[in-house]
Amino acid sequence: MNKIVQILVAAAVALLLAGPAMAEEPIKIAVPSPFSGGAAAYGDNVKAGVEMKVAEVNEAGGIDGRQIEAVYLDEMCEPKEAATVATKVAQDEDIVGGVGHLCSSAHLAALPTYVRKGVPMISPTATNVTISEKNADRDGKVWSFRDVYRDDYQGKFLADYVSQVLGLKKIAIFYENNDYGIGLKDAFTAEAKTIGLEVVGAEGYVKGTTDFTPQLTALKSKNPDGLFISGYYNEGALIASQAKKLGMDVIKFGADGLDNVDYINLAKDAADGTYMTVPFLAAAAGPDAQAFIAKFKEENGRDVDWMSANAYDAAGMLLAAVKAVGPDRAKIQEYLAAMDTPEKGYKGVTGLTYFDEHGDAQKAAYVKMVKDGEFVPAPQQLN
Amino acid sequence: MLEQQLVNGLTLGVIYALIAVGYTMVYGVIELINFAHGEIYMLGAFFCATFITALGLPLWLAIPLAMLCCSLLGIMIDVVAYRPLRNAHRLAALITAIGMSIFLQNLAMVIWGSRPRAFPQDAVPAVLAEQAFSFGEVTITWLHLFIFGITFSMMIGLYLIIAKTRIGTAMRALAQNRTCCQLQGINVNRVISFTFALGSAMGAMAGILVAMFYNTLYPTMGYVAGVKAFAAAVLGGIGSVPGAMFGGIVLGIAEALGAGYVSSLYRDGVAYAVMIAVIIFRPSGILGKALVDKA
Repeated sequence: MNKIVQILVAAAVALLLAGPAMAEEPIKIAVPSPFSGGAAAYGDNVKAGVEMKVAEVNEAGGIDGRQIEAVYLDEMCEPKEAATVATKVAQDEDIVGGVGHLCSSAHLAALPTYVRKGVPMISPTATNVTISEKNADRDGKVWSFRDVYRDDYQGKFLADYVSQVLGLKKIAIFYENNDYGIGLKDAFTAEAKTIGLEVVGAEGYVKGTTDFTPQLTALKSKNPDGLFISGYYNEGALIASQAKKLGMDVIKFGADGLDNVDYINLAKDAADGTYMTVPFLAAAAGPDAQAFIAKFKEENGRDVDWMSANAYDAAGMLLAAVKAVGPDRAKIQEYLAAMDTPEKGYKGVTGLTYFDEHGDAQKAAYVKMVKDGEFVPAPQQLN
Repeated sequence: MLEQQLVNGLTLGVIYALIAVGYTMVYGVIELINFAHGEIYMLGAFFCATFITALGLPLWLAIPLAMLCCSLLGIMIDVVAYRPLRNAHRLAALITAIGMSIFLQNLAMVIWGSRPRAFPQDAVPAVLAEQAFSFGEVTITWLHLFIFGITFSMMIGLYLIIAKTRIGTAMRALAQNRTCCQLQGINVNRVISFTFALGSAMGAMAGILVAMFYNTLYPTMGYVAGVKAFAAAVLGGIGSVPGAMFGGIVLGIAEALGAGYVSSLYRDGVAYAVMIAVIIFRPSGILGKALVDKA
């Protein structure tokens, strides 16, 4: 209901604004993400972040008097849909660049089109390692940038953290069978081997699975003291609560895929004692970020998650580029590629962002945990 | 561990069975695979949760009300999407069924949003989460027993309706030969509506049980459950009600054992492998009768 009211209000505002702004066409940015299907809830997070940034810029008069319009393209987190959507983005001359894709698998499938046609994209969330190698064209120009760390960094970080800080010895792993889950698991397992952390079992699952009791029953007999959930919060919450039901008393941990307030809503008290790495820690953020967090909560009625924060910044970076060099794809790419030192970086709510030669942002990971039904920063960070 | 896996599998299995009966009854009567049945299951869970949170109804009232809503919805789906195509080619109805399924899924997403929701736990009696008894490594909660109890009593109720009542007799007659039924003065459309209502009520119950058991409901939850239940119905012999129950339980246990002992990535694979094997070696399903040409 709320949505409908919002849409109506937005439509009314758009009509009012349309009067004086008729002369100028809006500048379009693409937001390809899943808005239907199993991963639609994550797409919702990204959309909330982008919407806030676009509204902010538009309220301030747009860029050169032109309004910004975000075009939301649904690819359902499916590689073949993503490839189709990418062609659509590339062919629409009015689209100057985009924020997306959300899923690593989808981003990988869409990447060749962006690189070939020269469309600058900033993914707020795709963490898979192989993206780094595939985002440059023949001249070595990078077209896809990332406002997030990579899985190999995150997986290695997690292994070090649970071993050094939490003192865990035997880990059981649940991983989602996609580029994200497997990449993270592999990086974790490789680091675990070198630091003497024992992995007693690794069980895969596909998105949308609701019952994990058979795998948990099998893992329980191996007496792990830590449960690594290498996937997203939907399934993660089910794994945590079913583990509790089966009487498994273990420390749960995972990566940024677990970070959403729905994880706590769904898993209830089974969520307590879950650690996770995140690229954005609300409690540790500066005053600008605090204002963003408060505004987000007011507008969306829920706590901000890292996906929304990263999407907000990714849209901010793209629009800063448009503002500086105008609505031209090639010039925007040059602008983003030149953000290669801390001095030339973009200061957003998630901190300072600048890119290496592969278009990857150098971002640190923070650890937060669930305590008494709330997210709090972990007592000890590892940086 | 084997005992616990059997309990896991049985819990999954009875729920599959509950959904599968809906498929099998509709198929038995009008030879249509109602692919929108998985969405009825999903909507059952959403209706129940919404009645509790929005209207403040207690669980014991919200459940039958949600089942009633789904029954009406089932009848409506038939009237809108299938009845006009009753004498058309069977493929046409199959395609509308798939369309109906996608439509309902997206409708739910528009109404309730795409985020997963928690089932309102305050409405669920606390005792259900507690352990009923344990022997050795196996723990069984009251919720397990509640699921078994509800499912089996519904199955018995269904059996009594089909075997002992007038409308049940009409359903069985319709499954044999529609033209003959019409000639005998049976109101065929009414019997079909009743079949949809009955199957949808059971599907809704399955959705509610799953939402309570896993504490999660989301608009796309019907798809996988629907496919699995369809497989269960085929496994047991599509058109046969005891077959659907049996097929559901076999599928649930095969899945739990496959996930527990082979590899969890193959859990669906194991389930479908069992189904394929049955179709190859016993094409009419485990409890299905050999097909008689209805010409």
